[in-house]
Amino acid sequence: MKRTGVFVCHCGINIAGTVDVKKVAAELAKHPGVVHAEDYVYMCSDPGQNLISKAIKEKKLDTVVVACCSPTLHETTFRNVAKIAGLNPYRCEIANIREQCSWVHRDRSKATQKAISITRSVVEKVRRNESLEDVSVPVTKRALVIGGGIAGIQASLDIANAGFEVILVERSPSIGGHMSQLSETFPTLDCSQCILTPKMVEVAKHPRIKLMTYSEVQEVSGFVGNFKVKILKKPTYVDPDKCTLCDECTKVCPIVVPNEFDMGLTGRRAIYIPFPQAIPATYTIDEKACPGMFDTAIACGKCADVCKPGAINFDMKPEVVEVDVGAIVVATGYDLYDKSMMAEYGYGKYPDVLDGLQFERLLSASGPTRGRILRPSDKKEPKEVVFIQCAGSRDPELHWPYCSKICCMYTAKHAMLYKHHVHDGQAYIFYIDIRSGGKNYEEFVHRAVEEDGVLYLRGKVSRVFEDNGKLIVWGVDTLTGKQIEIAADMVVLAMAIRPSKGTEELAKKLKIALDKDGFLAEAHPKLRPVESMTSGIFLAGAAQAPKDIPEAVGQASGAAAKAVAILSQERLFHSPTVARVLRNLCTGCAMCVNVCPYEAISLKEGKAVVNEILCEGCGTCSASCLRNAIQVKNLTPYHIQEMIRACLGG
Amino acid sequence: MVSLEQLKEEVKKILSSGNIKYFIGYESLGSGWQVRPAFMRKPEEVDRLVWTPACFHNLVRFLHDEKRRRAREKNPDTRPVGLLVKGCDSRAINVLVQEKYIERKDVYLIGVSCELMGVIDEVKLKRHLPGLKPQKVLFGQKETIKVITDNDKEIEIEASEILADRCLECPANFPVVADIILGEKIKKNVTSPYQSISPYERMSVEERWSFWQGQFSRCLRCYACRSVCPMCYCDECVADSIAYAVTADTTADEKAQKIKWVERNPEPSENIFYHLVRAIHLAGRCVDCGECERVCPVEIPLRLLNKKLEKEARELFGYEVGFDASQPPLIACFRDNDPQDFIR
Amino acid sequence: MAEEFEPRIVAFLCKWCSSAGADLAGVSRMEYPPNIIPIQVMCSGSVSPLYIFSALSHGADGVLVSGCHPGDCHYIKGNYYARRRLALVKKLLEYIGLEPQRFQMSWVSATEGIKFTQIVKDLVRELQPLGPQNKLRRKF
Repeated sequence: MKRTGVFVCHCGINIAGTVDVKKVAAELAKHPGVVHAEDYVYMCSDPGQNLISKAIKEKKLDTVVVACCSPTLHETTFRNVAKIAGLNPYRCEIANIREQCSWVHRDRSKATQKAISITRSVVEKVRRNESLEDVSVPVTKRALVIGGGIAGIQASLDIANAGFEVILVERSPSIGGHMSQLSETFPTLDCSQCILTPKMVEVAKHPRIKLMTYSEVQEVSGFVGNFKVKILKKPTYVDPDKCTLCDECTKVCPIVVPNEFDMGLTGRRAIYIPFPQAIPATYTIDEKACPGMFDTAIACGKCADVCKPGAINFDMKPEVVEVDVGAIVVATGYDLYDKSMMAEYGYGKYPDVLDGLQFERLLSASGPTRGRILRPSDKKEPKEVVFIQCAGSRDPELHWPYCSKICCMYTAKHAMLYKHHVHDGQAYIFYIDIRSGGKNYEEFVHRAVEEDGVLYLRGKVSRVFEDNGKLIVWGVDTLTGKQIEIAADMVVLAMAIRPSKGTEELAKKLKIALDKDGFLAEAHPKLRPVESMTSGIFLAGAAQAPKDIPEAVGQASGAAAKAVAILSQERLFHSPTVARVLRNLCTGCAMCVNVCPYEAISLKEGKAVVNEILCEGCGTCSASCLRNAIQVKNLTPYHIQEMIRACLGG
Repeated sequence: MVSLEQLKEEVKKILSSGNIKYFIGYESLGSGWQVRPAFMRKPEEVDRLVWTPACFHNLVRFLHDEKRRRAREKNPDTRPVGLLVKGCDSRAINVLVQEKYIERKDVYLIGVSCELMGVIDEVKLKRHLPGLKPQKVLFGQKETIKVITDNDKEIEIEASEILADRCLECPANFPVVADIILGEKIKKNVTSPYQSISPYERMSVEERWSFWQGQFSRCLRCYACRSVCPMCYCDECVADSIAYAVTADTTADEKAQKIKWVERNPEPSENIFYHLVRAIHLAGRCVDCGECERVCPVEIPLRLLNKKLEKEARELFGYEVGFDASQPPLIACFRDNDPQDFIR
Repeated sequence: MAEEFEPRIVAFLCKWCSSAGADLAGVSRMEYPPNIIPIQVMCSGSVSPLYIFSALSHGADGVLVSGCHPGDCHYIKGNYYARRRLALVKKLLEYIGLEPQRFQMSWVSATEGIKFTQIVKDLVRELQPLGPQNKLRRKF
């Protein structure tokens, strides 16, 4: 490149106050290859930009260096000026002589000398820049949402309402997630299913949402805008179009297994519907429980005998469906930390020590006890119930260090509802803090104390054990300093929120990262909470971190917006400063393939090949290559060497 | 003891089968104790084979020529090449397989165990026989080397006195990969595997500089070290980008981007740059076959550089070179607990 | 009075963390010696050992490579490779007799303007008594 223009900005007195900008321009004018050098008070202003534009046209500049503030501020601005003036934007570079020079030094002559060195090094860099065009790929206008809980449902509706097709994959027979198991939700005490089922029906009816329940994602390949997904449709053995929900089949099914929906408090048959409002509205045969799944003979088949619509079909086979999607939203939700992990509270062995979701099922009018609070052991009504918050949370030594966020609120809710059900019962809550930060949350907790007489004890419980039919709870009340022993009839543990089972395997398939606690990792904890580090894959709901329903819904809409931003484009553009392989130097050792964080490099015919859409231009491959055979465009080892030489004035 | 007869039998067998292209072993120079690499194509030629403590050459190096030949030919003979490998040589094979330079099926390896000995160092041999000219050098019994001088005197020398330094520190004195292995697979008991570099590690910074500067100022940049190294197979060495490997599809941009890290003239600064680059590029790849040091015309103790990085790879990262062809290269993997106490 | 020796330091700063941290030092109007010339790279993982040797060959008195803290790399894991590769470079340079202070590595995040300032000050202070780097410098 032979005709470089250098533009030195005063930035008012921000630069000019310390750096002699006129001297910088004068020295750069003498630099070989620089045919134009000037200074101006504010280069980013309109007149400043015009100076650059004019010089590009009049002096036929082939490269431009603007010595000014950090490139994070105005690199795009000046590259646009170049583009409009007819110069390839990647032939315009910024020399940072403000944040990294004039603002941090006080000695005028040394700061000026450094500004000259920095600018010279950028001139040497830009002179070796190629003209580059943004890389683009077409976009498949379809989204995949993994997980049919409230977050997945919300994201699906938002994307579908924006006009795009959605495939919603859910591994259980019905969408709804944990929210469908809840009785009432805080702080309104809305009936959970009453607010959830209309959304579930909307999903079922939506013309642009293809619902795939009892299905799991098997394989994901490709990249943003162009994902290829293989989904396994597990056979339900029941034709959903024929099933009328008459329930005759469960009456004759001889098998009983624990009911997942009731968290093991009841049983269900091998043929079942998870709950009456299930979407899709059909029964399912659990083939692991059903004895009738043999190739040669049907061992049982009683359900098929009584099914009048003839909906049962033992010949259904698993099906693998391949779909192309442009964006993926992961909303796989949470599970509770298993009680068996807590020795303090009895390893989950005591039938009357329940976790939050189990208690929720007791509260529910459609639950195992039809809304009556009864001890699972003897079906008697408990008069003394102890609720223990932070079971497994906030415990860096033994369990999980983080706070599970929602337990203070739902424990208050549980205690209140218990009191509404059992008027003469006494509820105790052992807590460390009360975290009630949401809207109307603080007032809600006060209701529990003031209106429902719930007794809050600030302290942890060290042990729960059974004695003579009662559960002895040993705790402490730190505010009075007394040790507390309660002979309770029932104990409810607010178990820690964990990412749902299978999250780790799914993250591997999607090649997205997990954080230190196993939740899906967001791209930036503050500013990018709904994006994963993989372009085109977004996160929603409790899979990313414990959260309540309004936050999950908000985040789902956020993820949907991000997905729509991709789907609504005709083509996706990607920075062209990506890696390139010099084939005549490549020996196919695959070191670059191994180190690439985005798996953007592969070996084809013994040489490395870069997928320009996946490549983020980090350069890790370049430093690993022993032969400099793979280099990042416009920041090759050649560029760096010339910058080093210019910096050191040699 | 490795039976030379058995070795000849095996080579005769494989050559007769026609399953290999040719076999590379060692043969005597004709007069004197030294040996040279021998290329055999017909079964009758196996009588040329020898196996003595003078078989220090790393024959794996010849695979570069084989690969280049195959790349040039229209219908190349893709039969494997037969090769005699010692423990160190076999690890070089593993590194080349790891880097996909060759496939395991491209070589037929007849491994020879050094048992409890190894190969000799010519300089040490001369020092041990002042005024005498060795005519034959043979493996003796019980860890001794038998030297027959030109006046027919037979001298037995303790092997540890004239074995090459690398053999005294060897982590693998029998082949770790081979189709057949001759000799007993006895692991040598090496108490200090990094004995040769510890004096230099103990020196002060200035003492070390004084030593190395003295070495590098003598370097002629003849590149013999690079030519003999089995791992230096790059068509164009980064330290020597005069020999641009320009082909029909090298674009103008690529040509413009060629970079010269090191100037040609053997100034100390350039020599050091070349050797530093070579050492760092061999980190996790050098198997300490000692050839670079052996062939250096000005006797620079090159293996001291590579051995240091081999030690760091082992101690900092738990990495061993050449034992497992399926492990990732040293710099293409990391552990979460890699040391970072040197980082502020 | 003899002029105090001013070391010239080339610093490879990763764009997303260390260079941003250096920018923050500027925004906060911190002060550090002007001996350091920054070269912005995308990731500390892209710093090849050849760059370090080249900087020393061209006469740099000190070289600094600074990247994101482990686990925070914008490109997920580039800094882990940098950590391993540059550990070997550091051991090699010390072994041949280069003063260990002349090549340093640091983790500086985008919020650590103060840390960056301190690192530069410490580096200049450590290099001043060592004088010019003549061991690897090209003398023609």
